[in-house]
Parts: sequence; structure tokens; C-alpha cells
Amino acid sequence: MIQLFDVRKTYAGDAPVLDGITLHIEKGEFIWLTGPSGAGKSTLLRLLFCADTATSGQILVGGRNVARLTQGGVPFLRRNIGVVFQDFKLLENRTVLENVGFALEVLGASDSEIRERSMKRLDQVGLKAKANSLPQRLSGGEQQRVAIARALVNEPTILLADEPTGNLDAGLTDSILELLFAANARGTTVIVATHDRAILQRYHRRTVALEHGKVVADA
Amino acid sequence: MIGHVAWRLTRRAAVNLWRAPLPSLVSVLTISLSLFLAIAFVLGLQGARALLTGWGAQASITLYLDRAATDEAARALAAKIRAADPDVEVVYVDRAQALIRLKQELGDLASSLDGLATNPLPPTLEVTPRGSPAPAVVRMMAARLGTLPGVADVDYGREWLDKLEALGRALRLFGAGALVIVLGAALLVVANTIRLAVYARRDEIEIMKLVGATDGYVRMPFLLEGALQGLLGAALALSALLAVQQWLLPRAAQAFAFAAGTALPHLLPIQAAGLLGVGALVGFLGSYLAVARFLRA
Repeated sequence: MIQLFDVRKTYAGDAPVLDGITLHIEKGEFIWLTGPSGAGKSTLLRLLFCADTATSGQILVGGRNVARLTQGGVPFLRRNIGVVFQDFKLLENRTVLENVGFALEVLGASDSEIRERSMKRLDQVGLKAKANSLPQRLSGGEQQRVAIARALVNEPTILLADEPTGNLDAGLTDSILELLFAANARGTTVIVATHDRAILQRYHRRTVALEHGKVVADA
Repeated sequence: MIGHVAWRLTRRAAVNLWRAPLPSLVSVLTISLSLFLAIAFVLGLQGARALLTGWGAQASITLYLDRAATDEAARALAAKIRAADPDVEVVYVDRAQALIRLKQELGDLASSLDGLATNPLPPTLEVTPRGSPAPAVVRMMAARLGTLPGVADVDYGREWLDKLEALGRALRLFGAGALVIVLGAALLVVANTIRLAVYARRDEIEIMKLVGATDGYVRMPFLLEGALQGLLGAALALSALLAVQQWLLPRAAQAFAFAAGTALPHLLPIQAAGLLGVGALVGFLGSYLAVARFLRA
């Protein structure tokens, strides 16, 4: 599903953020991407959804070499990738339903289809009753659940989550992770970047550890 | 699918316009003012050119014949010119008539001609082209007529025509330059307004791109918003212009009596439609510039 070959990412004048990363992730896997702050976790995820480009090396996502994608091809790759961020990235002036439906709007779905599929996802994350609320009326955990619903609404094959529980307390963390495990159980390949060691100890999955831009453990 | 996506994007453009009324209003008013100035200038230019053409049409060609030419020979030459070119009017002025005219023009000084033993004036043919031929056409016609047998000299107000031609050229050049500057300024104002709108909605754009929106999809609401601003601005300019035509021009026509006989410049339906089109285009292009820069960044 995802393959990285000797991927490097450097910024002029700085030490490499990623240094010779080689990684193979199978379809349907669940991966913890861990390491201290500045290890390169977020950069690696950004390369996967083409928010950034590698300085050297090759990245294949779903069999496609992202380095060879034209600017026009990037959106079509992203339609197969759901992304969840620590800061949720919800639109404050749109309702929960509209935020979730946003991902379907750009695909050209009809209003009725958008409503139906968004409501179904909101139901799965337990927020159907708050469909018409604005995000600022929701708790942090609820906002993250909306972000997950948006990431999953167009049924992507890959879900990337960058510190999805970083702003949440322990109780809410578990409920968010349950949603990610559920998506994985439905066949979605999930990569979660986290520096929270307690999570890794509680939920045993394949763990890729980064340090100074290099893979130091993969087990 | 295209239908409901187009409707959704248009609806979003209208909502965005409505949500940021002040910048939108500034943009609409700027486009409106620019277009009003531009079209008023074009119409003024049209009026000036019509006036110049009218004056140009009054230029006639005078053929001075040999002093020894007989009336028969002169009339035959006049008939020959008429036959060769039906679009000209030819009037024969014999030597006696020429002297009478000169005396009339001299007025009180006419008595100074009384001492002349013989009439020194040659017979002439006054050739007046019908319609409003361009100065270059008049010049060619004069050159051709000057070669006819029996014609001693030709006068067609060369200097006057040259000046007229130069003035027409200068007006056209100045008009085109002023039009480009005015429309360019409007374009930049729209570009800046839309740039602010783009900046205010950068989070929305980031998320749109994140969930797989193409650049075209991101760009379209902004382009429509710009075009809508342009269209509204053009409609406003058009209303102002019609009001001016309805109320101001009839009064101005009385004030400028020297231009009597020249048609007042009025906006044609095709020009009105063109104005709306240009307004929408200016808004569209302004937005395109703003969004293109943002998407590149």
C-alpha cells in the first residue's frame, strides 16, 4: 500500500529532517509512528499526502510514485487519503454536518448524498445529535471525532492521523483511538503519529520509531 | 453532476460576497467608476470623431482651369468628372462669377478691384465628395483630378486635412491609452479585494485542498465572486450613464450649440452589453490574478 525507499528530506542549512527512510506498509495495517518531538513524524506524514516533497528517494502510495504526480494529480491521490490533525482543522463558521460533508462536496456529490453519507459517519462517531451545531460548541474530543468523521466520509483507503489525541485527556483519547481501530477493522490502512508512550503500551500494534529523521526501531 | 456543482459554487460565491459587504462594495464601486469613466470617454471620443468627420466632409477640391478655357470646355470637363465618379458634386464657377464672389468676400474693399483692366481670376470647378470620405481619400482624389487636361492647379486644404488626420490619430491613441490605464486600475483593485477575501478564507482553502479539491474547484468561487462584483459594478455604471444621457446630455446639447447637427453620443444596446461583459471580465481576471498567486504560494 505504502512504500518508501531511502527517503530524505532536508531544508537548506539544517540537518536532515528525514534521513534514508525505507518502509513498507501493507494494505490494512495499523502503524504507530512514534518518536520525540522533531524526530520527523509529521514531515513523514506530510510527504505521504503530498503537502511536501521529498528531497530524494521514492515514495509509492497505492502503487503511484508521488514524485511523478503532476500538480493536477495530487487532489486525486488525496481523495484516497483521510487526514486527522491535532488541532482538528474544522471550519468554525460551518456546522458539524457541513464540516463532514465538505470532503464530499469537492467530489461533486449531490446535496442529498452528502447529507446521507455525512449523517451516517456522524452516527458512527456518536455525534448525530450535534449535526447542526457549530464546532466551537463542542468539546475537544467531540471536535476530533468530527475531524475523523470528515476524514473517513469518502471512505479513503488510507487514514493518516498526526497526534490525534495530543490535545485530549486520557478518557477521550481512548474513544478517539477506538474510532481509528474501527476504521482499520473495516480495511483502512491507518498510520498514527504519536509521542504518547502510554498509548503504545496499552495498544500493541506495529510501531515505527523515528529519531533524528532515521528509523531506529520497527516492530 | 456539473449542474449541481455549478449551482453550489455560484451560491457560495454569492454568499461570500454577502458575508464581506464592505470590501465587496469598494470593489463594485471602483469597477463602476472605472467603467463609467471609460465608457463616457469612449462616447465622448465618438462624438469628437463624428464632429471631426463632419468638418472633414466640408472640405472640397477646387480645380483651377487654364485662363483660356472656354465655358464649353469647362462644362465638358465637369461632366467628365461626374461621369467618372458619381459620388462627387461638381459646380462650375466661371471667371465672372469668381470675380463677383471675390467682391462679395472683400466687402468694403471690393472697390479696389474696379481699377482692374481685365478679370485676373481663372475659371474653377468645385468638386465636393458626398458622404464623409477619409482625408486620405480626398488627397488621392485631388491628385487624380490634378492630372486632367485643362486643370492648371488644385487646392484641397491639404494642411487642414493633415491636421484633422493627426488630431484623429492622437485622439484614438490617447483614448486607447486612457482606457487601458482605467481598466488596469479597476483590475488591480478587484485583485486586491479578492486577495483579502482569499486570505480571510485561507483555512477553508487549506482544508479544501486537504480533502482533494482541485485548484479549479478552489479557484471557481473566487472567480465567480470577482465576475459578480464586475457585473454589479458594470450595471451601476450603466445606470449612471443612462441617467446622464436622460438628464444631462439634452441640457449639454443646448449649451454646446456649435456642435449642432452632430448626433449626441448615445449608448447602443451592443455597447451596453459589452460594458456588462467587460465588467464581468475585469472582475474575473482580477480574481484570477489574486487566486493564482495564492495557489502558487
